[in-house]
Amino acid sequence: MRCDVTHTTEYEYSESVVVAHHVAHLRPRTLPHQECLHHELAITPAPAVTSAYEDYFGNLVTFFAVQGAHERLVIRARSTVTVSAPERPPPRETPPWEAAADRAALPFDAVEFVFASPESRPPWSVDAYARASFPAGRPLLDAVLELTARIHDEFTFDPKATTVATPLAEVLASRRGVCQDFARLEIACLRSLGIPARYVSGYLETVPPPSTPRLLGADASHAWLTVYCPGVGWIPVDPTNNLLPSDGHVTLAWGRDYTDVSPIHGVILGGGAHSLRVHVDVVRLADGEPGRSDQPVPA
Amino acid sequence: MSSITNIQEPTLPWRFLHEYQPIDGVFDEMLAGPGKLRAHCEAFVHSLESMGPHEFASRHDNARRAIRENGVTYNVYGDPQGIDRPWELDMVPLVVSADEWSRLEKGLIQRTRLLNLILLDLHGPQRLLRSGLLPPSLALANPAFLRPCHGIRVPRDIYLHMHGVDLARSPDGQWAVLADRTQAPSGAGYALENRLVLLHSLPEAFRGCHIHRLASFFRAQRDTLSALTPTQHQPARVVLLTPGPYNETYFEHAYLARYLGFTLVEGADLTVRDRRVFIKTLEGLQPVDVIFRRLDDSFCDPLELRGDSFLGVAGLVAAVRAGNVVVANALGSGVIETAAILPFLPALCRDLLGEELLLPSVATWWCGQPAHLSYVLEHLEGLVAKPAFPSKGQEPVFGRKLSDGERKGLAAAIRARPEDFVAQAHVELSSAPVWHRHGLEPRSVVFRTYVAAAGDSFAVMPGGLTRVSSTQDVPIVSMQRGGRSKDTWVLSDGPVSAVSLLAPTDPIRLKPATTELPSRVAENLFWLGRYVERAEHIVRLLRSFVSRLADQDTTDDPRQVSTLLQVLVGLRVLPEELGQNTWLRKLEEETIDLIANQSPHTGLRNALNEVHRLASVVRDRLSIDTWRILNLLHQDMPLGHGRIQFEDVLVHLNRIIADLAAFSGMEMENMTRGHGWRFLNLGRRLERSVNLVGVLRGALGVAHTADSAIVEPLLEIADSSMTYRRRYYAQPRIASALHLLLVDETNTRGLAFQLAAVSDHILRLPRDPRAPSPTREERLIAHARDTLGQADVIASQSWSEDHVAALDGLLGSIADDLQATSDAITYFYFSHAELRVS
Repeated sequence: MRCDVTHTTEYEYSESVVVAHHVAHLRPRTLPHQECLHHELAITPAPAVTSAYEDYFGNLVTFFAVQGAHERLVIRARSTVTVSAPERPPPRETPPWEAAADRAALPFDAVEFVFASPESRPPWSVDAYARASFPAGRPLLDAVLELTARIHDEFTFDPKATTVATPLAEVLASRRGVCQDFARLEIACLRSLGIPARYVSGYLETVPPPSTPRLLGADASHAWLTVYCPGVGWIPVDPTNNLLPSDGHVTLAWGRDYTDVSPIHGVILGGGAHSLRVHVDVVRLADGEPGRSDQPVPA
Repeated sequence: MSSITNIQEPTLPWRFLHEYQPIDGVFDEMLAGPGKLRAHCEAFVHSLESMGPHEFASRHDNARRAIRENGVTYNVYGDPQGIDRPWELDMVPLVVSADEWSRLEKGLIQRTRLLNLILLDLHGPQRLLRSGLLPPSLALANPAFLRPCHGIRVPRDIYLHMHGVDLARSPDGQWAVLADRTQAPSGAGYALENRLVLLHSLPEAFRGCHIHRLASFFRAQRDTLSALTPTQHQPARVVLLTPGPYNETYFEHAYLARYLGFTLVEGADLTVRDRRVFIKTLEGLQPVDVIFRRLDDSFCDPLELRGDSFLGVAGLVAAVRAGNVVVANALGSGVIETAAILPFLPALCRDLLGEELLLPSVATWWCGQPAHLSYVLEHLEGLVAKPAFPSKGQEPVFGRKLSDGERKGLAAAIRARPEDFVAQAHVELSSAPVWHRHGLEPRSVVFRTYVAAAGDSFAVMPGGLTRVSSTQDVPIVSMQRGGRSKDTWVLSDGPVSAVSLLAPTDPIRLKPATTELPSRVAENLFWLGRYVERAEHIVRLLRSFVSRLADQDTTDDPRQVSTLLQVLVGLRVLPEELGQNTWLRKLEEETIDLIANQSPHTGLRNALNEVHRLASVVRDRLSIDTWRILNLLHQDMPLGHGRIQFEDVLVHLNRIIADLAAFSGMEMENMTRGHGWRFLNLGRRLERSVNLVGVLRGALGVAHTADSAIVEPLLEIADSSMTYRRRYYAQPRIASALHLLLVDETNTRGLAFQLAAVSDHILRLPRDPRAPSPTREERLIAHARDTLGQADVIASQSWSEDHVAALDGLLGSIADDLQATSDAITYFYFSHAELRVS
């Protein structure tokens, strides 16, 4: 699909903020199956410093600093992206999962994702939960699909149940959460077996084509994972919607966990209490239709 | 002196090591066998022997006293002595021969070069991980591997500006590395302080042996750091970043900052603008070029590193990435602090340097390697297991001390997360004689030395910090576990030239650290001034009361006690219950008790505690003598229990007054008249004004009933009795006393003098050109001085109750102005420094 993405983040502060430093992961990556045709980042008030660079994981990062006193900060990222469906091997023909857990045989770039970041050490109970789907010799993707289905079936989507700081043990106990929780749970399951898995931050189409169901997580940023399959590469998996993403998922950034790729975070001086509003809009474009971000931006 | 009398006068020449008995099978640093002194220790031992045991013991006591007086402290977490635990130094140094040192030095420099190259690779091409020379998971599973710091080019390719190496000597006499400290190694400042103490305590021994000086090492380090300026800004502004006074080694942060001439800062003193680091000073934001940090990597930036750090500087990584500031050691250097890397160093050394590793490490196995894991699981009993990536509260586990069940539990934990564990061979540490009570005992030693970037190469500190175990049977050497330290003497083949950082020929001129005053430091100095003055005021109040209580029988005016009691209760220096005592004896007892036990009622304990706390925080701004005085004050505080008489209490109070007077002398005579002094003195003047107004109002409240009874104590409290007598040659009268204390501008203890001084200080403070003129502080203090003028008119008129009421009203207005002045200064100069200079 080709689509226009608008991702608006709005902070309001009860007291004036004197200096704010922010790091944003808001520019979609360019990948074999995805191209970012256009991207712009509009920040109000205008930052004193903006600098863009690639982070350790190859994500495109923008650092910016707002240095004048402000009570409100609006960050709007607008991108035009094309996504095609990645190739997907027949699940039963993938190698046994143990091959993905053989660390000595893994490429260097995959070993990175066997380990949790220090902030996301999973509880031991994850291991037991995962093992049920991974009997010896089972083809990797076959097992992953079952694990994905179990998470989808046994957990309830509930935006009120968790925050980004909720420990995984709590998610596992309450069986409730949102896309971030399901993604990190499945990642923790795979890593507990030694299988590399990446956390992916991105978007879903807001209003799907007629006769397709609207997916969960479509009005905010979405999260899923990719699992490393020897001989194939990274295969995306969406436990929130119990599917293997094709061309409806726009990839922003990936890392070990949410903290590596959070769309925007910052440290401010002053500000008192703050409120945050996030709005994401992903609109599919018809063939030949110009992208919204191709058009001149109104002043 | 008591410890000396216990030693028997020897009839034969003193044999220093005569009764010293090293443990069998352990390498001893001084004795090669029973009674067989190692050759390189002879000169030192002879110098002690010619001194004799009495003299040695006495100098040992003096050295301990000097450490206490200099306030050399080491904070042991969870220790009841809190941030005041005195540093422990043993008088017998570890002596290293010239030959041995030259071998060690080569090995140490090679090691630093090697580790520096490894860090460059890990944060750059990662060839070592991709080729398998280092297992990828050693970096990737390591929480200290900071991905945001990957890809940053560090100036001159130096990661390790300061590398600490812990060395142990095995029974065969060979040194081996126990651990590397690569992010912010501690202890160099203590090594320096140890050296200074020993230099003063054993000057003959120093003359007798050719010992390498430490100063040239620190000078090279200082020059190298100062030359790192990323801009053309000259001279470079270098700051020493500390986690703050609650850190275990805060003493040495302040000590080194002063010694090296760097400004001591906490994270909150720094701010990032335009990806440049600035220090917040009273005169605005000043750019910082180099940050010599004592803060661990991950705490340095809450934006890109640990989000929960309150100790760092938001945006620091971005500033480093932009090449606008140099952090030493470079951010990320903590990744090779793990012992897991030790087994790979020989191969890495061959690969990166084309050399054999000169200095071996203690035999180490990292369980993240399958072959190592199985070895460790089979030999757990003979090994020491440690976390590969340590965090606080994790201790080494000695396999041989575990029960079967415990060992099985440990094995299971290792199997579950093998990369989290290393195991090391148990090291039989060498021993050295330690002076304990009145003789020498063998204790295990670990020697930490330092390698610093110096010019284009690295230099080794010719010495270091030797730590000894706390008791004979504890195999772990750690200052956190109550160990002691020793100076380390590296012998030279020939005479050693004296180099001092303070030498007049010093080629570089650093900006003196005192010209820059972080706002936080200004605030602490301001409150130090206030609390010193408050303490003195309370002591004077108490003393005037106690001395009259003690002289009940001989005093001219028996009403003075009750009048004064009334005033002190009104000022909340004495509790109300005390005033209700009808039995004189009971009143006496309770007063003594209040002071002797430092009851919180008097406020004295709190004031003195605050003085000590604030002085600790700004100690890099105080001279060593000034600090010593404040430290004595702190140690003079407790009076203890038992039968305490009025005389004891008076002696106690007089001693505090004398200590405080000594501090004031230092403040007036020894401090540069910069903004630091100005804030200290401003705090003092404001506090004295507030106290004087308070005590005058209290006196007015009782004056109509007991005029003469209050005047004499009032003059005494305000330290103006002498002045009064010289002026008036008469029995004190309230009207003339008020004149002297309120409006006589020549009376340095009077209110007019204080307000004039406050006004003068305020006019000279740095100001924001955008601020309205006159400033709020100026207007407030001008108003207070006007009001005082009116009070003069009233006080000089004939005395009546109406006048007393009017005077009290005016003094109340002055008190309000003073409070508002203090608030305005706090608001403009301390709490909102950010806003002011944005």
